[in-house]
Amino acid sequence: MREKTIRWAFWTAVLCSLLLGTVLFSLCIGSVGISLKKIIEVICEGNTSTEYSILFDIRLPRIILGFAIGGALSIAGVILQGMFRNPLVEPYTLGISGGAALGVCLNIVLRLNHTLGLFSLPLFGFLGANLVIMLVYSLSIRRGILKIQGLLLTGIMISFIASSLIMFIMAISRVEDLHGIVFWIMGSLEEPNWFLIKLSVLVSILGLIISYRFSLDLNAFSLGEEEASHLGINIERTKRSLFVLASLLTGCSVSVAGIIGFVGLVVPHFVRMFVGSDHRILLISSFICGAIFLIFCDTLARTIISPLELPVGVITGILGGSLFIYALSKKQAVLGGK
Amino acid sequence: MKRNKILSISLFSICIIGFYFLLKLPVDSAKRIEPFRGPERIISLGPSITKGLYLLGVENKLIANTTYCISPPEAKKKEKIGTAVEVNIEKVFNLKPDLVLATSLTNLKAKEKLKNLGIRVITFPTPGDFGDMCKQFLELGRLVNKEKEAEKIVKNAEKKANSIKKKVENLHRPRVLVQVGTKPLFASTGCYFINDYIEFAGGMNIAKKAKEGIYSREQVLKANPDVIIIATMGIVGEEEKEVWGKYKTLNAVKNDRIYILDTDELTSPTPVSFVKTLEEITHILYSGK
Repeated sequence: MREKTIRWAFWTAVLCSLLLGTVLFSLCIGSVGISLKKIIEVICEGNTSTEYSILFDIRLPRIILGFAIGGALSIAGVILQGMFRNPLVEPYTLGISGGAALGVCLNIVLRLNHTLGLFSLPLFGFLGANLVIMLVYSLSIRRGILKIQGLLLTGIMISFIASSLIMFIMAISRVEDLHGIVFWIMGSLEEPNWFLIKLSVLVSILGLIISYRFSLDLNAFSLGEEEASHLGINIERTKRSLFVLASLLTGCSVSVAGIIGFVGLVVPHFVRMFVGSDHRILLISSFICGAIFLIFCDTLARTIISPLELPVGVITGILGGSLFIYALSKKQAVLGGK
Repeated sequence: MKRNKILSISLFSICIIGFYFLLKLPVDSAKRIEPFRGPERIISLGPSITKGLYLLGVENKLIANTTYCISPPEAKKKEKIGTAVEVNIEKVFNLKPDLVLATSLTNLKAKEKLKNLGIRVITFPTPGDFGDMCKQFLELGRLVNKEKEAEKIVKNAEKKANSIKKKVENLHRPRVLVQVGTKPLFASTGCYFINDYIEFAGGMNIAKKAKEGIYSREQVLKANPDVIIIATMGIVGEEEKEVWGKYKTLNAVKNDRIYILDTDELTSPTPVSFVKTLEEITHILYSGK
């Protein structure tokens, strides 16, 4: 027991220092080169120079949003993979991202963001996500029992329907709107509104705390639903709360940052290889690791072909996928809930 | 279980403390809007705006533009801050512009962010017709303190356009399709200024009444245009010409009246280049190339 605690503390410390390192790295690197010496000077002097504004008004918001979104998507992935006992489930499998994308597309095409302001984009995204959550939930609940397999299939089907509807909207929309839709779907951590950034941070951290309360239940789930109920867990209530929690985390992330793929799928697997599959440590380290991963990918995305910027999803996919395959070939860890 | 509780409580308190600091971050530090004196450092985010600035003779005030800004050739040498769609905010901010001229293609979030940073951002939407285009050009002239020059250019362009209109007034009106995209087929409909090219030159736009979007090839065959103008560049245009060649019933194919025009000239115009392209199209419609 004691040994376990030490090992967990060790991993948490390692990841936290890595996170700090990544944040500093990301703060120092950008298309406008600012040397480390200059950065220290600028921070000491306070907010008068252009450099200060670049660091704290342009780079820092992106880093903070990366922290929130990366963390939220990763723990949503851990929760769903643990709950479904299926290594291929990720936050976007349940159609939540499709719903959010549909909401945003409708907003762009109907030009509501011109009348209601830019804030209405994430709002519509969130409404769309919630609509899908309710739909999936009500379709797969039978006599108070949430059918896990039904949930998965309904979710996948709804995400197909949503993507067809998005294609329909794109086919009939004006050229200018088309750009808006495509770029929103690609996902980006660029967010002008500080309030939304703070909100994402709050949601993701609250999500971590609440999901941590369920970590022992998730451990029991990995034995199977029946065994979990024999261990004295109210499986129906737990399933419902976990589903809603993961969905809200995903919905919030997607409506603010668009569809940034791969984080919620790869990070939990990757972390599981190192820290094991006990959800008590898995949740925390996935959160931190997801944050590190997304911040790092975003830094690459905005510097690699500067002055142009790549969509962050390009980097998360390539980097995440190849890193994961490499790790898998090095260490034949067992995937999934085991 | 007890340890679990303690852990989560301590985690919660850490988060609350962290969040408190987050809330106290410098939020409004960038909102230092200085009194406006007239732009000295302009960044253009659209090809037609860049061209307009060159026409008005303020190219020395233009400090950067996009990778799409290739005309006039000198514009290529200016600093690049991204494409017409994606803008590198960091770079824009570092160049310290006092005026950023955006288009409706520019990423909304990027525009919002630049405004938050205290930079004056003006958006020029894609013009609906020639009149719109002239109005926007006058607005551009006003923004860079070149009102008189802009007025002169616009008046001149209007005069030329009107004289072309008069010339073709009593001629036979050919049916025209202007194709602005291939695979899928996009026709220029009545909602865009491209429609004005056809109408001013005395043609009838067969897709005028259609909504923006993918146009059906069947409709084209049914409407049977006398002239097809393909507005795509290089090889794609030639290929598309061959594709139309298969439909032998089309008048445009029978009489070999399918033409390819440079996209940049056609789709990102200033009043001056509009007249130039209009002359070209009039020439195409009435005498062949």
